[in-house]
Amino acid sequence: MAVSEPLLEVEGLVKHFPGPSNLLQQSSVLVKAVDGVSFTVDEGTTFALVGESGCGKTTVAKNVLLLERPTAGVIKFRGKDINRLNRRDLKEYKHTVQAVFQDPYSSLNPRMQVKDIIGEPLRVHEGMRGRRLQTRVAELLDNVGLNPVTGSFFPHQFSGGQRQRIAIARALALQPKLIVLDEPVSGLDVSIRAQILNLLVDLQEEFGLSYLLISHDLAIVEHMSHRVGVMYVGKMVELSEKEDMYSDAVHPYTKALLASVPRPNPDIAMGLTISGEVASPINPPTGCRFHPRCPIYQDSPECRDVQPEWDQVAPLHWSACHKVKP
Amino acid sequence: MTEMSTTKDRPILLDVKDLKTYFFQRRGVLKAVDGVNFTVRAGESVGLVGESGSGKSMTCLSIMRLVPKPAARIVEGQILFNGQDLLSIDESDMREYRGSKIAMVMQDPQTSMNPVFTVGNQVEEPIKLHLKERGAQAMQRVLDALRAVRIPSPEDRVKQYPHQFSGGMRQRVVAAMGLATSPELLVADEPTTSLDVTIQAQFLGLIRDIQKEHGTSVIWVTHDLGIVAQMCDRVNVMYAGRIVESAEVQKIYKDPQHPYTKALLDSVPVMGARRPRLYQIDGQPPDLRSIPTGCSFWPRCPAAMDICKTEYPPATHLGGDDFVHCWLAEK
Repeated sequence: MAVSEPLLEVEGLVKHFPGPSNLLQQSSVLVKAVDGVSFTVDEGTTFALVGESGCGKTTVAKNVLLLERPTAGVIKFRGKDINRLNRRDLKEYKHTVQAVFQDPYSSLNPRMQVKDIIGEPLRVHEGMRGRRLQTRVAELLDNVGLNPVTGSFFPHQFSGGQRQRIAIARALALQPKLIVLDEPVSGLDVSIRAQILNLLVDLQEEFGLSYLLISHDLAIVEHMSHRVGVMYVGKMVELSEKEDMYSDAVHPYTKALLASVPRPNPDIAMGLTISGEVASPINPPTGCRFHPRCPIYQDSPECRDVQPEWDQVAPLHWSACHKVKP
Repeated sequence: MTEMSTTKDRPILLDVKDLKTYFFQRRGVLKAVDGVNFTVRAGESVGLVGESGSGKSMTCLSIMRLVPKPAARIVEGQILFNGQDLLSIDESDMREYRGSKIAMVMQDPQTSMNPVFTVGNQVEEPIKLHLKERGAQAMQRVLDALRAVRIPSPEDRVKQYPHQFSGGMRQRVVAAMGLATSPELLVADEPTTSLDVTIQAQFLGLIRDIQKEHGTSVIWVTHDLGIVAQMCDRVNVMYAGRIVESAEVQKIYKDPQHPYTKALLDSVPVMGARRPRLYQIDGQPPDLRSIPTGCSFWPRCPAAMDICKTEYPPATHLGGDDFVHCWLAEK
């Protein structure tokens, strides 16, 4: 699975936003949305970022998509810093990295026919016209399981699941290497979710795609990904191969997260839950950001005052916790 | 759950019989609820599971008699609550039930509270209205209700407004509003969909504790098969406005009878199950304005037979309160 050079490398990514301000005064506080996150995505694999709301997973995705510029840190694609690309490489990068967003209702222009939505990147980036464009659009519709005659329809004529298929077809148009999937099925019904998840797995195999999957659903992450990073309030707390994460999680937050998932099996009761609320990225807790909710904190001054460093707890398995050391 | 074996012998609190709630639109009649039958026993947790448009929320709104008027109307059926048909009483009598004997927690804690009144004010309202308590006595009950849903320092919190509460706390306050009058039945319509997973776990644990203490019956409306497995004694699976299968929770997860129930259970990723591929129900749920004749699931059913296309299968009773509507079970 692992190849020599990773496709995408995120190193020490930091993104701070100015905090809420009012009319009269600029805010002096910072929202530390992402505060030092590192991971890599290997070619042909799925890396999942999982965490609760406000943990910064979508901000990471936006930085990868060049929709935000990092405050600090480097994002490298095939070894090149994506924020320092020359014009040609930048165009190439925008070809190679595509996205599918959560809401298929707001991510498709309601006034455009489906064939124009899917064809737009081909016209803009590759100057494709006429018969060639038509054939390619029909092929893409077929790839995502839609009948090519639906190309002349408008988005409102499709259900949520079909719209998500259209969004996937658009992402595939330029034959990308990496697709950022930001909660790709959370707006869909259960039976439709399975269709889309299966489609994404099939496409990955067929085209050798890599996915950066952003999700809060731990069952979907386990099903889809090869490696997983768990985030909490702007920090990554644990990073490992999928199998290790789900059988041998070491960080107390990961454990709590896994225990909180209601299993669709009446014989497996929910585990111990943790108290308290998710901390705010404005004035996050000092030291380990999880310490106010941590079940094993026990008033340790180290947890309260010192940010935990990464420890390698097993091959390809890292965790940032003072209490759980290898 | 563990008490499951005992709930099936308890008296019936709510008996919904052949409930039909239709929307009358220019483009035709939309049959949101089309002949729903189920019971809730005292202290029982009953799940209504289904995808969007299956009629689960509209069933609940019908029980509360809160269907959006004039677009929708309850056209047929009975809703017996302790033997009294709620559909045959006056609106003023219905108010005696709504909020006092039957309470509801809705999906979105953002919109189910009034932003311009303090939290204390809003929790106090059902207490004033239904328990006819005033002043210090009512306030004491408000504080107790907030303490019961584990709101820290409720004495200060009652003076605050909803925007000063987090999403999880707001949903607990909404639950406190519902539970303040000690209702016999709580209708929870996807109460945790907007909550984070650790906060959801807290809320589920809270409702379970309250239920254990007060013996409240709960109707859980959800599309999440995990929540149903954890919270319910009985599961009703809805499809296109009807309950297609009803069974005890252990039975439905181990031995589902209806092909739709089976498909639903096989189509979700399950942690630890390592499913190589998800079962895929092809097609879409039907348009409720033109539900297929016969069994509404047949166009998507892997086991459809000729009879399925023409006649709706009657209920096959499977012992206890369990039943399934499928021609396969009929044989």
